[in-house]
Amino acid sequence: MILTQQAGPAVASPPEVAEAPATASRRPAVICAATLVVTGAAGAALLVAANRAAEWDTGQQFAFFWAGMLVFTLPAVYWLVRRGSGARLRVAVLTAYAGFTYLPKLLRTPDGPLYHDEFAHWRQARDILLDGRLFEQNPIVKVVGDFPGLHSMVASVSGLTGVSIWHAALLVLIVAHLLVVLGVFVLAEEIWHDARVAAVATIIYSLNSSFLFFDTQFGYESLAIPLLVWTLVALHRAMRGPAGRARLGWSALTVMLSAATIATHHLTALGLLGVMLILCAVATARALRRINPRAVTWTAWALTVAAAVLVVAYLWVVAPRTAGYLDPYLARALDQIAGMAGEGGGGGRTLFRESIAPWWERAAAFGAQGVAGIGMLAAALWLRKRREGDAVSRNGALGMFVLGSLYFPAALLILTPSGAEGARRSWAFSYLGIALVVAPVVVWLLDRKPFYSGTALLAVCAVVMVGNTAAGMNPSYRFPGPPVFGSDTRSAIPEVSAASAWLRSTQGRDLRIVADRYSGLIFGSFGGQRPVTGSVTFPTYDLYLAQPDRQISPRLIEQLSSWRFTYLIVDRRMAREVPEIQIYFETNEPVPHSDKPAFTLGQLTKFDRTPWTIKVYDSGNIAIYRFDFASLGKAAR
Amino acid sequence: MTTPRLLAAAYAALAVLAFAPRLPWLFAAVCVAALVALGELWLRALAGEAMPAVTRIGLATASGLVSLPFLAITLHVTDILIRPRTVAIGLAVLVTVLGVVVLLRERASGAAIDPRLPRTLAAVAVPGLVTLVAGFLALQAYDRLPHPPEPGFTSLALNGWAAGIEGPVAIPARGVHVPVRVSSAGVPARTQPLRVRVGARLISGRPLAVAPDTTRSVDVFVPAPPGGCPQRIEISLGVTSTVFYGRGPGRC
Repeated sequence: MILTQQAGPAVASPPEVAEAPATASRRPAVICAATLVVTGAAGAALLVAANRAAEWDTGQQFAFFWAGMLVFTLPAVYWLVRRGSGARLRVAVLTAYAGFTYLPKLLRTPDGPLYHDEFAHWRQARDILLDGRLFEQNPIVKVVGDFPGLHSMVASVSGLTGVSIWHAALLVLIVAHLLVVLGVFVLAEEIWHDARVAAVATIIYSLNSSFLFFDTQFGYESLAIPLLVWTLVALHRAMRGPAGRARLGWSALTVMLSAATIATHHLTALGLLGVMLILCAVATARALRRINPRAVTWTAWALTVAAAVLVVAYLWVVAPRTAGYLDPYLARALDQIAGMAGEGGGGGRTLFRESIAPWWERAAAFGAQGVAGIGMLAAALWLRKRREGDAVSRNGALGMFVLGSLYFPAALLILTPSGAEGARRSWAFSYLGIALVVAPVVVWLLDRKPFYSGTALLAVCAVVMVGNTAAGMNPSYRFPGPPVFGSDTRSAIPEVSAASAWLRSTQGRDLRIVADRYSGLIFGSFGGQRPVTGSVTFPTYDLYLAQPDRQISPRLIEQLSSWRFTYLIVDRRMAREVPEIQIYFETNEPVPHSDKPAFTLGQLTKFDRTPWTIKVYDSGNIAIYRFDFASLGKAAR
Repeated sequence: MTTPRLLAAAYAALAVLAFAPRLPWLFAAVCVAALVALGELWLRALAGEAMPAVTRIGLATASGLVSLPFLAITLHVTDILIRPRTVAIGLAVLVTVLGVVVLLRERASGAAIDPRLPRTLAAVAVPGLVTLVAGFLALQAYDRLPHPPEPGFTSLALNGWAAGIEGPVAIPARGVHVPVRVSSAGVPARTQPLRVRVGARLISGRPLAVAPDTTRSVDVFVPAPPGGCPQRIEISLGVTSTVFYGRGPGRC
């Protein structure tokens, strides 16, 4: 019972959303704690063994990894969905589940940034600590600086506490991971008023392809997605809340959290707006049939319009570059879909091409899509048959069904090189819909035949977790291993770091340099420089592509000279190896891609003999040249 | 917790963060506590009604966290540099404003107190702490296990004044000593030929012992190139090299 205290004795308030009673006996809690401590320890040991196996390239990393994950998560799932588990026990298990599921990422990147976007955010946070300013342009991901939510938070925590930027980031990200788990649980409770269904919804959401690795990275979506979920919680309470001050208060909280989402990540802000619009559309349709109270529909629309105004104003005034940044990805993806549909069938990508993932992970990846489809079909029948719950709950459930259905069109995008990144990102949103509408079906099944359906559902849960994770993240992102050229996570050999440290210590920071994608990550983050990796309007890759006996385009030289570029970084591995992710500089580079390196050694060493490039550093693979444009065109012997 | 106590706790935590000598991991816990307290003030100021304990914990944490970017943006807009002390002072101002709103609100309508909150908070904090300890132990174990050696390298760089060469160097008739930096990491000791070429001519060559995992500076003599036209000067150590251009005292 919730009490209201007003200058004296406490009085009862109107009943709140019912919570499951706390466990009457402590015995289940003790058994649960003991089980999860033991399985958690075993799981952690197996995850460490998986990383060791990957480092030494024994090939057993996949088996160790999944054994480690499942040895903890399956008992945790049991305790979460068990009918007799109390409210606090569920919350405790959810917290442990959130903590454990952060462990794979923690073990992958304990010391510093490793994933592509992590370098950008790390750099941005360090710039705030050094210069005390926001909105500086980021040289690695050009729009990152316009969305300061995450890195300003990390920089503030690092500054206030004295922990390193990376440790401050880990602290924020672990809290954010816990928030997403608790947030889905609370949102599901808002819709279904059943803690068991809410726990199942949380588990299903945690099976999405981004949950273990992508949305735990030091990237803006890792913070923005929990904010999106909590914004939806506040929105539901505003829609449900009694008229007057309480509704206004929840509305203000909704606007505050949506503003924070917008200041954190562009795509999540647009995703939030999309989800709110879906909820509004459902509410309007139901209002037209006189099912929904007017206040629910009006509140939903008012808050969605407020969020839309914030999104548009922010993208227009603060982050106008965002449209130009996102637009080419979508346009190219649509082109590639059109190409696939055309006669040649070109433009597509082959899933798991050259992947070292075992066959059973690949099979599970396809199986997981089938399970999602069957789950949504069952949810559709369930929602049609059982029209229960208050107006807001029903509205939320139908809205989430529409959101979950969007998961499947995104599968089309995954088949295109440009759309794959966007598709993966969209699954973190659409899986929320799937989780929230499939959960009551799962609980219904469990109640019918607990043993058989429970065992079968645990097996399905394992398959979906394995499959979605395999579909969402390359093995090189998931596991350590021998250096691999052209992998965002394994290209950073000590030689590159040493070259970047030398340049920074002898020439200073914030230098404009020309680099490839992988050197650019290190020089642009740890090195504190401003690398450019090329674009259609500033094709710096032409420097590398030019044959030794050919002149560089005068226009490019003019651009480099007038924009005060001072250094050129050359990674000679480009002449010996093919990049693992088939990118040398950027996604739409005009560089031939085949099973042979796109460059000859002559193309990369020609700068040893051009009078306008002074070779100031060389370590075998990495060479640094200083531009001397004044010597351009002059002869030297 | 009553609002005055919450305010006192938030002020105390912020004072520690702003003025006490740094104890990083302890301060991290203090910072999280301060942000959750701040988030709770947001909730009392805006929603001001009872809610399930887990909802309160989640919303308070989220609201506390997002206070940091809001504050950073405010500091930026008002042209104040984002520094630890300005952030702490800004948070204190925010705590004060929210505290006033909450106290005024509670005077009118009373305070919502949920007796389940402390236990639910413990249900989050205890497993959270246990998993943090487990994660820390796993990291320690992983760190202490032997790892494969990383690929080594030997680097050669222009050093000292030579690191600042921006164009052709005027070399006097007596020649010039060019400092180079030789660094080795992860490779065994070896002796490599240190050579100087001016134009196409090999001027000098001598073996140079490179000890493992060391960095040192070596002066290399470069004679004046014949004539005053720029000539390519290459200093190489094994397969690595530096290249710059120099001109002698004569006319081109």
